[in-house]
Amino acid sequence: MVWSALQPVVNWLGGSALGVWLGQSPTRIAILFVVHLTGLTLLLGGTIVMSLGLAGVGFRSGSSAQLAREIGPWRMAGLALAIISGFLIFTGGALTYFEGQWFRRKMTLLLIAVIFNFSWFRIVTNAPDGRFGPWARRLTAGASLLLWFGVGVSGRAIAFF
Amino acid sequence: MPVVEWLHALEQTRISEVVRESAFPYIEGTHVLGLSLSVGMIAWVDLRLVGATMRTRPVSEVYESVQGWMLAGFCLMFVTGALLFVAHATKAYESVFFRAKVAFLLLAGINALIFHWTVNHRTTSWNDAPVPPTAARMAGLTSLVLWLSVIAAGRLFAYDL
Repeated sequence: MVWSALQPVVNWLGGSALGVWLGQSPTRIAILFVVHLTGLTLLLGGTIVMSLGLAGVGFRSGSSAQLAREIGPWRMAGLALAIISGFLIFTGGALTYFEGQWFRRKMTLLLIAVIFNFSWFRIVTNAPDGRFGPWARRLTAGASLLLWFGVGVSGRAIAFF
Repeated sequence: MPVVEWLHALEQTRISEVVRESAFPYIEGTHVLGLSLSVGMIAWVDLRLVGATMRTRPVSEVYESVQGWMLAGFCLMFVTGALLFVAHATKAYESVFFRAKVAFLLLAGINALIFHWTVNHRTTSWNDAPVPPTAARMAGLTSLVLWLSVIAAGRLFAYDL
């Protein structure tokens, strides 16, 4: 339903000059993958640090809200790098990627992870200390790790399954 | 026995066969996502040394908060990396990207050791400084550049397989 509604856009993207140009060259895609992994490292590394702060493991000085402010811009830069390079990699092989089960799972998880990140995760990390109990904070941290690593795992699965 | 013959013998072992024929996606996936715990953790120490993040936190706090995860991450990377090497030892040995990766890894290790021996034991004097002295900033920047190079060479090597 949603996927078939997107099919015309995917067809157009794959047949566009950019899509054809990217698809022609393994070197261009390889460079994009380097950017994708750099983004992944910043995003997942940042997610781990913010989750540690939420769970109260390490980073003792200052609140988790302060840690989120310090880490946040780098983590978002990682997300931006991953999304831009990922979009271009997709464009270089749009029709094939779009058919893949793991690609669809990854995009679904990514959407959930982004929504979760900018709603509940943001509310809990930015809340003043004491507003949420230790277990609410640990569960939020765990859910965030599970979602973002789920995106990573399903991304790796695209290449193999 | 020349290196190539020795590597060839390595590829005849049972473990090499198992990784190559069935375990590869899982080990490779673990190796890629392990970036978050290894490079993804050391990057925060490097960025703090450069003075680019967490300026109000002592350097020692950042280091101590990530060191356990970081060590676990690098152990994971070494073990999974060794298994991946055993699966395709000859191709790895012959690849210019794999050789570059090993060279960057050695340089990153040397940089970390030099920092540990010369700069780090004087940390006490600038532990709280928002922007550490030039030598520490150079060590952090060098580390960031080298680890990004390790990621790039590793990802490009995967294209040679």
